[in-house]
Amino acid sequence: MRNRGALAIVGAAGIAALVLPLLGSDYAISFSIQLLIFLILAYSWNLIGGYTGYTHFGQVGFFGIGAYVGSLLIFHWGVPWYLAAAMAGFAGAAVAVPLGGAMLRLKGPFFAIGMFGLARVLEAFALGFDSITQGGTGIYLKPLGDLRPLYYVVAAVAAIMVLLTWRLDNSRLGLKLLAIREDESAAESLGIPTTRLKIGTFVASAVAPAAMGALYAVYLGFIDPPTAFAPNIELTTIAMVLLGGMGTVLGPLVGAVALSVVNEVLWANYPQIYLASVGVIILLAVLFTPRGLVNLGIRGGWLPAGRPLFRRLAQRAGQTP
Amino acid sequence: MPITELLLGGILLGGVYALMACGLNLIFGVMRVINFAHGDILAVAALSTVSIVVGFKLPFWVAIVVVPLASAALGVLIYVAILRRIEGAPMIMSLLATYALSTIVVNIAILIWGGGYSGLPGVLGGAVRLFGVNVSISRLVSFACALAISLAVWWILEYTRFGRAVRSVSQAPELAVISGISVERVRVATFALGTAMAGLAGVLVAPAFAIDPQLGSRFIIKAFAVIIVGGMGSYPGAILAALLLGVIEVMGSYLSGAVLGSAYLYLLMLGVLLIRPRGLLGTGIRI
Repeated sequence: MRNRGALAIVGAAGIAALVLPLLGSDYAISFSIQLLIFLILAYSWNLIGGYTGYTHFGQVGFFGIGAYVGSLLIFHWGVPWYLAAAMAGFAGAAVAVPLGGAMLRLKGPFFAIGMFGLARVLEAFALGFDSITQGGTGIYLKPLGDLRPLYYVVAAVAAIMVLLTWRLDNSRLGLKLLAIREDESAAESLGIPTTRLKIGTFVASAVAPAAMGALYAVYLGFIDPPTAFAPNIELTTIAMVLLGGMGTVLGPLVGAVALSVVNEVLWANYPQIYLASVGVIILLAVLFTPRGLVNLGIRGGWLPAGRPLFRRLAQRAGQTP
Repeated sequence: MPITELLLGGILLGGVYALMACGLNLIFGVMRVINFAHGDILAVAALSTVSIVVGFKLPFWVAIVVVPLASAALGVLIYVAILRRIEGAPMIMSLLATYALSTIVVNIAILIWGGGYSGLPGVLGGAVRLFGVNVSISRLVSFACALAISLAVWWILEYTRFGRAVRSVSQAPELAVISGISVERVRVATFALGTAMAGLAGVLVAPAFAIDPQLGSRFIIKAFAVIIVGGMGSYPGAILAALLLGVIEVMGSYLSGAVLGSAYLYLLMLGVLLIRPRGLLGTGIRI
């Protein structure tokens, strides 16, 4: 019964997503693209931050790398934007492997301080190597006449991220990551290859943000260092995951939708207090709903509990005489 | 002779990083909290110093007294309102809380003081000749005070009763409770001391550097690099690494411009992590 309800909701959301560009205004499409990009960033952050429990303050660094790789490919070689985005994703992974190898030798808090400066340093490089990146002037791309193809690509990636997270949540791999989050030494002693899994998760959480960076540059038609490595992207993404619920399937979705609406209002009316208010949202979430809105929903009985596969398995094991 | 000039400039810069890194190390050791707002408290303290001296036309020593006290009060407030409530929660919560706090402080500072640069050119002006190089007095004073305070706090930790209590809480909180140490009181005192150090660093930075609300974010990245390079939780390591990184930053800026110069510190940090993850003088702290 519950499954059929969930399927109906997913189906309805899918149809709505497909139809929206045909019916919606340009503003609706534009807003949806931004929302979906943040949704993808949030799901990516959820992998490393929510499941593995590593506080990742450098995600916007990969976003910026992707933005620059994509823009330069489009600008210099005229690569089609979707191919450029795919290659930006690869570039993100290529940077994430050595960086993860170095950084993940650090345990939780030191990983956080190590990653904290990444975006600022990359921004400095983007400004400093101005022969390649055109420095503070930025790179102008030919604007897309029609945003609909971009919308479909972003929506497809978002659907894939949700699906992957759902699969991960119901898999041994997901449990292993949660074990690392809860007690890394214990996980290690149970034979879980923690370093390999951490680096894998780190790389997996870098690919989509890099690709999204490229698509964001295409969407804006312009990129410069402060836009590509904007702290507000980092902050908003983390606030979304935290508000919705870290390490849950639906959390980033709930958080992204809720905060995108809040952002739209704040950004439009009070841009000068925007960042401070996102900070306040994070602080309030930490203090009052550290496990996220989704968890409130589960306790209230409006949402099904997580990991249905494992719950069924556990019940079956209990029934056997 | 540029080499002497660069070396001296780097060492003087390193003093401020040392003071920041020591405050961060102190707070982390006792509370297992990394205070991302540390640099922003420094920036606000520096901006307040400018307001006190230029705006209210009070003498500089008023700022030296008032600002660290106000910072300590802010520290107590942060501890009581936020950190005490998430004690025992997963580490990620305190990281996110201080990260959010940092953003809030920076943006409120921008609302109050605006995004532009300010400074205190009139205070501690002039220069002295040292090893054949002209050194500005303000930088010399800020370096001397920063190093003196870092060493003083180190001395307090090693040799006083309070210091022993602090170390005992950081190494074995359960045993500290059994020995009759009020862990709560040590924690709040440590956090207040740490933020007061950040505040004092801000006062000292005000005459020597161009300051703006984003100053803290720039400084704290370097202080973090100092902690990682020097070895987590190690005081001598932090002071040594701070001086080393100051020199490298100044040399890097001289060779390839200020923007890239500070970025080299980050690459150095990555290098240290790859070769010697526990840092130069670190013993490998357990979390």
